[in-house]
Amino acid sequence: MSDNGERLERYAELAVRVGANVQPGQEVLVRGLVEHAELVRALTRQAYRAGASYVNATYEDQHVRRAMIELGPDEALTYTPEWLKTYMETMADNALLGTSGNPEPELLADLDGERVGRANPIEAAEIYRRIHGEHRVNWCGVGAPTEGWARQVLGEPDVEQLWELVAFCFRLDEQEPVEAWREHLDRLDARAAALTERQPDVLRYRGPGTDFTVGLLPSARWGSARFRTAGGIDYVANMPTEEIFITPDSRRAEGTLRSSLPLSLGGQMIRDLQLTFEDGRIVQVEAESGADVVRSHLATIENADRLGELALVTNESRVGQTGKLFYNTLFDENATCHIAYGFGLPYSFDGEPDEGMNVSNIHVDFMVGGPELEVDAVMADGTEVPLIRNEEWQLAA
Amino acid sequence: MDERLERYAELVVRVGANVRPGQEVFLISAVEHHELTRALARQAYRAGASYVHVRYSDGHTRRAMIELGPDEALTYSPEWLKTFTASMSGNAMIATTGDPEPELLADLDGERVGRAVPQEIVQIRVQQLTENNVNWCGVGAPNEGWATQVFGEPDVERLWEKVAFCMRLDEPDPVEAWKEHLERLAERAAQLNDLHPDVLRYRGPGTDLTVGLLPAARWMAGGGDTSTGIYYVANMPTEEVFTSPDARRTEGTIRSSLPLVLLGQVVRGLELTFEQGRAVRVEAETGADLVRSHFATIENADRLGEVALVTKESRVGQSATLFHDTLFDENATCHIAYGAGFPFLFDSDPGEGLNVANMHVDFMVGGPELEVDAVLADGTQVPLIRGEEWQLA
Repeated sequence: MSDNGERLERYAELAVRVGANVQPGQEVLVRGLVEHAELVRALTRQAYRAGASYVNATYEDQHVRRAMIELGPDEALTYTPEWLKTYMETMADNALLGTSGNPEPELLADLDGERVGRANPIEAAEIYRRIHGEHRVNWCGVGAPTEGWARQVLGEPDVEQLWELVAFCFRLDEQEPVEAWREHLDRLDARAAALTERQPDVLRYRGPGTDFTVGLLPSARWGSARFRTAGGIDYVANMPTEEIFITPDSRRAEGTLRSSLPLSLGGQMIRDLQLTFEDGRIVQVEAESGADVVRSHLATIENADRLGELALVTNESRVGQTGKLFYNTLFDENATCHIAYGFGLPYSFDGEPDEGMNVSNIHVDFMVGGPELEVDAVMADGTEVPLIRNEEWQLAA
Repeated sequence: MDERLERYAELVVRVGANVRPGQEVFLISAVEHHELTRALARQAYRAGASYVHVRYSDGHTRRAMIELGPDEALTYSPEWLKTFTASMSGNAMIATTGDPEPELLADLDGERVGRAVPQEIVQIRVQQLTENNVNWCGVGAPNEGWATQVFGEPDVERLWEKVAFCMRLDEPDPVEAWKEHLERLAERAAQLNDLHPDVLRYRGPGTDLTVGLLPAARWMAGGGDTSTGIYYVANMPTEEVFTSPDARRTEGTIRSSLPLVLLGQVVRGLELTFEQGRAVRVEAETGADLVRSHFATIENADRLGEVALVTKESRVGQSATLFHDTLFDENATCHIAYGAGFPFLFDSDPGEGLNVANMHVDFMVGGPELEVDAVLADGTQVPLIRGEEWQLA
């Protein structure tokens, strides 16, 4: 096996063992784009090596999706085939590995944004959300370098250079990656615990084009992406992950947020997104490109117009340290602070989620961080505590 | 957009599967076939499909299962894949062939490779074939690996030209050309149905075989109707007339004349000996274990399900190319299949003579020296094929 082949296997092994933490006897679902076949195959091998009873390796194809949106009937856009429901149900008590890294991020750019936004198999999304909400799946999302993705990031199809960047974000350069990941997650968890202990009532965001406050829920806690299933399996849902996050009170968001990085979303590119909130709901959407996709989400998916996640990322981030824009949410959201519209994350709650948690069939992260962004915690008594200045963490822990 | 690719896909959708407006369409492809699969999806929507489902398979994840997975994984049929397969009933399906790595599994244990069949899913497909409720078509998807197998170099363009010739895409009006071609084949099937042979006799190098036929089984060629009356052409190309034999009446030895690419291994020089309908001996230069594993683990895989006659008018034969792909090679020359017979050849209950199995494997037996005769019920012998030419008037 070549060096590159060896790196691929080590990468896949880390995703399977530390990320999804596949347990002997579990079925595993591996989902990727057809262009991700090389990594999907390595993940499948490593899943069997970890004792998977069966690996369901499945491929999606954006060109087939394009054909549906461009040429298919209206009903096709939101249709969920029976088999896809059964497939989604298979996640329960099993493991899931998903690959990302869009080889053609603007494949759908010339299509009607309203149709692109509406094209969601709603019932599949519901099952996905329910099983995740019940903490019944140990899952992990990882990047799959391809020529197309490399062209986006580097301006040329230099897959090797993209692999090096991805491997750095993945801590594959460490002598003991497994140990490096444990230490890294411990650091993030310590930061999350310190913030939870302070119990901020509100977060305030200020920066270029941004003046925004969002309420927090007393029962929600901050956390890293290191989770535990109801059955007691520890896993890391995103690799890389550099964030601490919380599910906010979806009824309390006011002001304007401007995204700081472009967002590759379902085959279109959203640039300079600007969202204005009143009483928790988005009342205005502006963007340099892709506004129609977002507007279509908000118009057709219930509660897509409320927030589901706030995440804080600082300049220790390995993704941020690369200085690259990845045009891939998994990476870019771990370079800098981000916020998501759509469903809240049940991981923020020890028991039943608070009724302030947003319930929706979509979750879209967008990046808001940057050198000029200031994030403050506002306590119940009105005290303001700086959390982030110039991308540096301001609390002791 | 590649115009030839779109014309090819359109022909498959319109003439092959004959997708009807409002039908759901199922595309089943190797992941390396995605260029054609995408064109098929486009053309299916253009033909009025209500939804196009795609299932990409991957020889490498299958390899991982056979090499690294537990024993139970080999025959396991995931629920969602059963649902997927069952959903094809009443709908249209297009499957693509052209193995990008025909010997990917060559170094694995042939017994495990042979056993790796998702039994329940195959059973659903066999049931659908019995009920004839899917309008479907199998077509070739040229790719580098396949081209390398055929030409010794990854000359995909050259393979595309060969495939396009077999598909009659060079004709000014391919739809009309297909219509004429299918009529010619149907006429040949009608001749055999009139002749009503009781037995077929095969003689050639290493081959001396007789196969009994069933009085109720029709000979068929080209296309046919689903149970709800949708005319479709199940294979493109297709050059054969075929029937299902009496699975109880096969005697003698048959030697394959072309290598057979089968599930990641290549079976070369296959020689099967039959007694009272069953294969009692399997020899081969390579891949014998895989065939033996089929016979040992799949009920009735050791009996015949199809006999098919092909002559040298075949465009595949004229291309003088060994495709290392059953869809093509079986349409270059006469072939026989072990495993399941075709219930749709019967107007009523087929009875016990028709083989029932969760498998159907075609292998090629034709060549310049093969002689095929019809033996009629009164013992008269009528030559059918000599020198790869059709002998009936």
